[in-house]
Amino acid sequence: MDVFTLSFWGISLALVGVSLAKSKEKTFEAMKKSKGMMGNMLGEIVAIIFVIGLVLTFIPPESIKSVLGSENTFVSSIIGAVVGSITLIPAFVAFPLVGSLVNVGASIIPAVAFLTTLTMVGVVTFPLEKKEFGVKFALVRNLLSFVAALLIAMAMGVIL
Amino acid sequence: MTFTNVMKKNKLMAIVASIYLIIFVLMPEKAAIAVSNSTYYLIEMVQILPVIFLLTVAIEALIPKETITKRLGEKSGFLGNILSLLLGSLSAGPIYAAFPISKMLLSKGASVSNIVIILSSWAVIKIPMLANEAKFLGVSFMGVRWVLTVIAILIMAWITEKLVDKKDMLKAGTVETDNHIAINKDYCIGCGICVKMMPQVYEIIDQKAHVIEAGIKPCDDAMIQKTAEKCPTHAIAVKRKGGAVA
Repeated sequence: MDVFTLSFWGISLALVGVSLAKSKEKTFEAMKKSKGMMGNMLGEIVAIIFVIGLVLTFIPPESIKSVLGSENTFVSSIIGAVVGSITLIPAFVAFPLVGSLVNVGASIIPAVAFLTTLTMVGVVTFPLEKKEFGVKFALVRNLLSFVAALLIAMAMGVIL
Repeated sequence: MTFTNVMKKNKLMAIVASIYLIIFVLMPEKAAIAVSNSTYYLIEMVQILPVIFLLTVAIEALIPKETITKRLGEKSGFLGNILSLLLGSLSAGPIYAAFPISKMLLSKGASVSNIVIILSSWAVIKIPMLANEAKFLGVSFMGVRWVLTVIAILIMAWITEKLVDKKDMLKAGTVETDNHIAINKDYCIGCGICVKMMPQVYEIIDQKAHVIEAGIKPCDDAMIQKTAEKCPTHAIAVKRKGGAVA
């Protein structure tokens, strides 16, 4: 395990220790809650990881590079943002997926566009959002988020 | 649970498993490579997953969300924006879990811009998720994306405040029912907390909570109210005698 992961282990164990000392009851309740939420996603996580294995084995790095590489960033970023908007997978399975693509040569700009719209823009959840807050709010928020995702992606490309 | 139920719940898993089965028969070498590729990411995931779990638990148990939500009104200004950002990034669950809570805050006086900030930060900047992002994409990637996203969210909140009228948002409907307890099926994630608390009142059918009307006793009111508060996505609404949905 690398230093980074170890330090995160340390921080989170310490925090749970503090919370146990403060209130055992509250902490156990919180554990039940997160266990329920994460337990439901566990199957999905394992499945996505095995999909990553397939992608890395059957799609040669050269073709990932040519489609998602730095040559046609503009088109691939738009595609990344659109795909991110319509899919609804938990963010923490998206990170290893995107990480594996970046490792074999995909550009980070479409990667960022995908990650940002994945969580912030929801085509699937749009009907729900419309029902709670009205059409105008849902439209404005999702459209602004889509544009923001592209801008964030481009800025990341310049900075990193 | 029956076999078809298990299949339904793990559809993706079943598809992936059958693909692997086919490859193992047709080209065993490729399959072995795919498995070893997956194993690498599986180990990485196993290392970081408990951290995400522990962080979520600590945040849930330590942060007094009630005190934060009291300070999000129209005149809360920049401090209110910062508190909204905190509330969103310290909460667990997918973005649609934020809808009912935000709606409640809106009706209690939170401003439009603060609602945008809560929804967006709830979606993108989860503290436990930052650990995951840094693990798979690097610390500088995570850091730069975080800073840029916070700036973008604040700008979006400001624009939305100018464009959208709060009155229109409040008009958008919440469903009223005649039942004593109403479960919003759109939000229920089937976690089963309500069943654990009151098995005589709730049951899970097809991964969604249902109310057993016959099991409700008048003396249970306080406990039922508690299940509504404990529900992670606030999918349970309890109607009081006066008729208002809590």
